Amino acid sequence: MKKKGLIIIIAIVAVIVIAIGSVVGSYNGLVEKQQEVETSWSQISVYLQSRADKIPNLVNTVKGYTDYEQSTLTAVTEARSAVSKASGVNEQIEASNQLDSAVDIWVNAVTEAYPELKADTQFTALIDELTGSENRIATARKDYNEAAKEFNTKIKRFPTNLLAGMFGFEAYDYFEADSSAQSVPNVSFD
Amino acid sequence: MMKRILSFAAVFFCLVFCLCGCAEDEGFPAATEEFFVNDFADVLSNEAETEILSRAAAVYKATTAQIVTVTIESLDGMEPYEYALELGREWGVGDEEEDNGVVILLSENDREIYIAVGYGLEGALPDSKTGRIIDLYGLEYLKQDDFSNGLNSINKAVINEVYLEYGLETEEGYTSIDNLYQSQSISGQSNKVIISWIILVILFIIFSGFSRRRGGFFFFPMHFGSSGNYRGGSGFGGGSGFGGSSGGFRGGGGSFGGGGAGRGF
Repeated sequence: MKKKGLIIIIAIVAVIVIAIGSVVGSYNGLVEKQQEVETSWSQISVYLQSRADKIPNLVNTVKGYTDYEQSTLTAVTEARSAVSKASGVNEQIEASNQLDSAVDIWVNAVTEAYPELKADTQFTALIDELTGSENRIATARKDYNEAAKEFNTKIKRFPTNLLAGMFGFEAYDYFEADSSAQSVPNVSFD
Repeated sequence: MMKRILSFAAVFFCLVFCLCGCAEDEGFPAATEEFFVNDFADVLSNEAETEILSRAAAVYKATTAQIVTVTIESLDGMEPYEYALELGREWGVGDEEEDNGVVILLSENDREIYIAVGYGLEGALPDSKTGRIIDLYGLEYLKQDDFSNGLNSINKAVINEVYLEYGLETEEGYTSIDNLYQSQSISGQSNKVIISWIILVILFIIFSGFSRRRGGFFFFPMHFGSSGNYRGGSGFGGGSGFGGSSGGFRGGGGSFGGGGAGRGF
């Protein structure tokens, strides 16, 4: 009789330990996932700024060529300063989209007026850097979406959804597939 | 009691399902046994394949960097950079810790070449230099459909730049692209790049403390749930004995973040 009671107590303790362990485990899992989402979000911001920082070099390179399309350049300069002034990633993304299309227009205008630019190694190098930045941003967005999707699925799924409700985890928004954000200055090197 | 067991079982099955659900397949071909050269479009001569393979195997032995050359018939509507990057992630090109992989991708029908550079080699091969390598060493050959010479000389340049990055001797007769082309000195920019790298490294150190995942997700976003076996054995050139290399190679789990450059030809 005594033995039986002991077994029951041990069993109850074991179950409680396992239950607490799994709660702690899935809570930590959620926090870890959340961290992944947050870091991939901030990575986007780093890349956005790094791209904006490349624009002045591009402008300087082209300055050697007279006129360099002043009217379209003004839009680029304005959009660039908007990116730097933006607070928060959302605002930064919006400003970056504007910068994207402004650069696109300007680069096309310049290369049309001065086709010899395409043979300029420094210009080519800067366009490569700029395109690389675009690709990094697009990749970072995709990685963010993937991480957010995993997190969101996790907090909707039983039993982690109970935990998420208890600790107030909230779902993250996704990026819309925005075509303008993926536009790359279209320079072909024929 | 029963309830507890049930909910514990539920947690277990959720985990299993989660792991399965994440292993998405993007439909890339499996890597060949040679791994460093994958001529799916069948545009390379045997000599070129042998040379690329033995050069890549040598740099791999010396540095653990994996330089993978891939030819495909079509990008299936994907962007060249996207294809090369996703393929590199899926195959795990490069060392898991160092992310020192490069994918040199050529699509025959799209007439596109793209060199995707893993995180760890972005310093050795910045986008501008990567583009310059294609321009200098590959483009003329590729325009004339001489894919063997084009990819071989691009492969040679990339691998020698990797040797330089690791402070090793280059192959005989290779002149660094930096000596041929001096306009890398865009000073303000390189400073900013260094600063953002420092910030990234600090962030990485901070966040890797939170993360139990090997390597830390943030800096090395592993392809979720990829199984770790990249060999696949698709039957291409299985056991055909290129260059007498001993056995096959496989990816080390490296990742990519969008670095690199490409050209149409």
